[in-house]
Amino acid sequence: MLKSLCCEMALALACVISLLLYSSLLHAAEKTAAEKASAVKEGASVFRANCSPCHGLNARGGGRGPDLTAGRWTHGSSDAAIFRTISQGVPGTEMPANPLEDSETRAIIAYLRSLSPPKHPAVMGDPAKGDQIFHGKARCLDCHMVSGHGGVLGPDLSRVGASRSISYLMDSIRQPDKDLSSGIVDPNNHYGLPLVYDTVTVVKADGTKLTGVAKNEDTYSLQLISTDQKLHLLLKQDLKEVTHEHRSLMPPYSEDALDAAELRDLIAYLETLRGEEAGGAPLQRSKRSRAKEAQ
Amino acid sequence: MKRALLLAVLLGTNIAQAQVTYERLQSAANEPHNWLTYSGRYAGWRYSTLDQINTTNASHLTMQWAFQVGDLGQFETTPLVVDGVLYGTGQNDRAFAVDARTGRPIWRYQRNLPEKLQPCCGMVNRGMAILGDRLFMATLDAHVIALDTKSGNLLWDVTAADYRKAYTFTVAPLVVKNEVIVGISGGEYGVRGFIDAYDAATGRRVWRFETVPGPGEPGHETWKGDSWKTGGAPAWITGTFDPELNLVYWPTGNPAPSNYGGERGGDNLYSNCMLALDADTGKLKWYFQFTPHDLYDYDATQVPILLDATWEGRPRKLLVQANRNGFFYVLDRTDGKFLSAKAFGKVTWATGIAADGKPLVNTSLKANPQGTRVCPGALGLTNWYAPSYSPDSGLVYIAISNECDLFTSSPQPYRAGHDFLGSVYVPDPVERPTGALKALDALSGAEKWSFPYFSNPNGGALSTAGRIVFAGDSDGNFIALDAGTGHDLWHVQLGAAIYSTAITFQVDGKQYVVVPAGSALFAFSAP
Repeated sequence: MLKSLCCEMALALACVISLLLYSSLLHAAEKTAAEKASAVKEGASVFRANCSPCHGLNARGGGRGPDLTAGRWTHGSSDAAIFRTISQGVPGTEMPANPLEDSETRAIIAYLRSLSPPKHPAVMGDPAKGDQIFHGKARCLDCHMVSGHGGVLGPDLSRVGASRSISYLMDSIRQPDKDLSSGIVDPNNHYGLPLVYDTVTVVKADGTKLTGVAKNEDTYSLQLISTDQKLHLLLKQDLKEVTHEHRSLMPPYSEDALDAAELRDLIAYLETLRGEEAGGAPLQRSKRSRAKEAQ
Repeated sequence: MKRALLLAVLLGTNIAQAQVTYERLQSAANEPHNWLTYSGRYAGWRYSTLDQINTTNASHLTMQWAFQVGDLGQFETTPLVVDGVLYGTGQNDRAFAVDARTGRPIWRYQRNLPEKLQPCCGMVNRGMAILGDRLFMATLDAHVIALDTKSGNLLWDVTAADYRKAYTFTVAPLVVKNEVIVGISGGEYGVRGFIDAYDAATGRRVWRFETVPGPGEPGHETWKGDSWKTGGAPAWITGTFDPELNLVYWPTGNPAPSNYGGERGGDNLYSNCMLALDADTGKLKWYFQFTPHDLYDYDATQVPILLDATWEGRPRKLLVQANRNGFFYVLDRTDGKFLSAKAFGKVTWATGIAADGKPLVNTSLKANPQGTRVCPGALGLTNWYAPSYSPDSGLVYIAISNECDLFTSSPQPYRAGHDFLGSVYVPDPVERPTGALKALDALSGAEKWSFPYFSNPNGGALSTAGRIVFAGDSDGNFIALDAGTGHDLWHVQLGAAIYSTAITFQVDGKQYVVVPAGSALFAFSAP
């Protein structure tokens, strides 16, 4: 009887402990879920203010940064590696160091982890075929350089697969005027914007015309690469006219020039161009600072 | 003018190293060989009666010296020059004194700043003020300090606010009588703005004007709920002063969060205002709000210019300002009465200004989560860079930025010491931003001429009796223009964006013009 009573009491005690433990675990889980939700919400806000100008409002990439929802982390996929990438930047690329609070950086990571990856049919292409298209019928090397080979009229594509989203690459091929690539930026001009690869036409004093892209330009001078890929150092006082047209010199590759399968192959090849770890690139700047004004 | 200059030069010789009294500050216009305040004189003209450098010889300007500050970042100082010594500030709260003839340093000061500072837009400082044998500087960690003019030694150091909550100073102080007046920065972090006056001798705070009214104060009702606690309205550009009216005119910046107004319903006084404060007490005499309930970050932090002119047939004391929101305003500075406003570039956020001075807001353009194109962009049609007024031409010279932005807007929780923007905005990707230096009629705001810049600017204008306007662009060009026509007289490439505005002074009979660029000061004179 006594033994039975003891057993019952022990059982009751165990039940109470179990219930308390369960309640505690449930509470902890709810708290963890709430903290995670809070971190994601904060991360979305911090991302919007600091990262979206390059990576897009929804982190799916833009003209200056890769898609961060694709699950492809060129500079390391662990939380620690992403933290380092955000806080220290990536030397030689367009990714700057971001002096955020540690908690803000962790919140950004939580936000990025919460996003669903996109579905891009283009990645189903054949990179080997894309390589042939790139170097063959599409004649991309006429204007672009990859690993030290090719032209200089357009941007270097040596690591374009690591730095641009697939949707951006598709747009750049089908509609190159939609979002012009960025060029040189002055690191001393905190609020300045990079030049873009628009179409520049100058008329010299003798009436001759040159068309190309501006490597640089200011109020008084223009450094132009013409379509024949020659460098022209021009003073505006010697020119009759300088005209900028918001269009790319790159021809749009329509369905007639590249069908859907060929485009997928080409994108798949471009995705393999991820450069060297210690590679260099023209200086770029985060737009974070421009989201604020001098104070 | 030449007689006045001769007298001034003679005076300059006689009073070498003399103390800078309040009386000298009041009559700074009579000392064209010196540059005694941020704007050169209390009226905010940034104009000099020196004319040794003029339209006939400006094309032969040559560099006389350069002074390297020894730090990186935006170099935004306006130096002071007193009897042959130039005093300036640099990035990261550096300060220095140099021989104004040679650029050779006399002393250097470097503030020991805490590691985690939150200035929104660089570790910048715009200059010092002077009184007696003391220089006054407002620092990035929200202190106000006094330095000895001969040694740079620290004389006093007082705390104005908590830098850990993102209160910072970037402003050049204004000395009025025996007070050192400063305004706080931090509108992007949800600070509660203020303007302070400190006793020049001791550093004791004499008065504070809170730019966001608290409970029970007039204007508090213009903030929804508790939004006033994080309302912003910083005061980060140096004001001007009318000794006769004993009023300090100090402009304020954006409400916080700068681009999301959902939680701060109301006009949000005294954000984006011109404040007229009693110089002795800091009491508000009048205010005028340029952009009520701002959604586009249109700080009114542009130096107010004080003019006396005939307005509609009678003499009036005027205050004019080319505002960041794109309108050129004329107010009566005795009572703040609105007199006129005229757009000086592309403006879409408002269709005009009503007879009572309130904007006719284009409500269809409000920022939203997807992005709305609004002109001017968040950097404004003009910004903090100094305007100049020349009494010779009757023109106001301003640098302008032709940029429209795509504004997005979303709620953002406040966290002390953190960004509080409620948005992100990007320049219109189709229209590349450009800039210009414009000459506007000081009363009507009508454009007289415009000199185009390739990029949008960060540097302001200095005009002189030599009928020259000196200006600097963001691509590193320091430029001399004919003040009457805008004709390009001379330029030099200084290798880095110009973030400040030139000053001029004269030593040993030679006029110099000095401008900061990159990490150096550059001094030029005519042969």
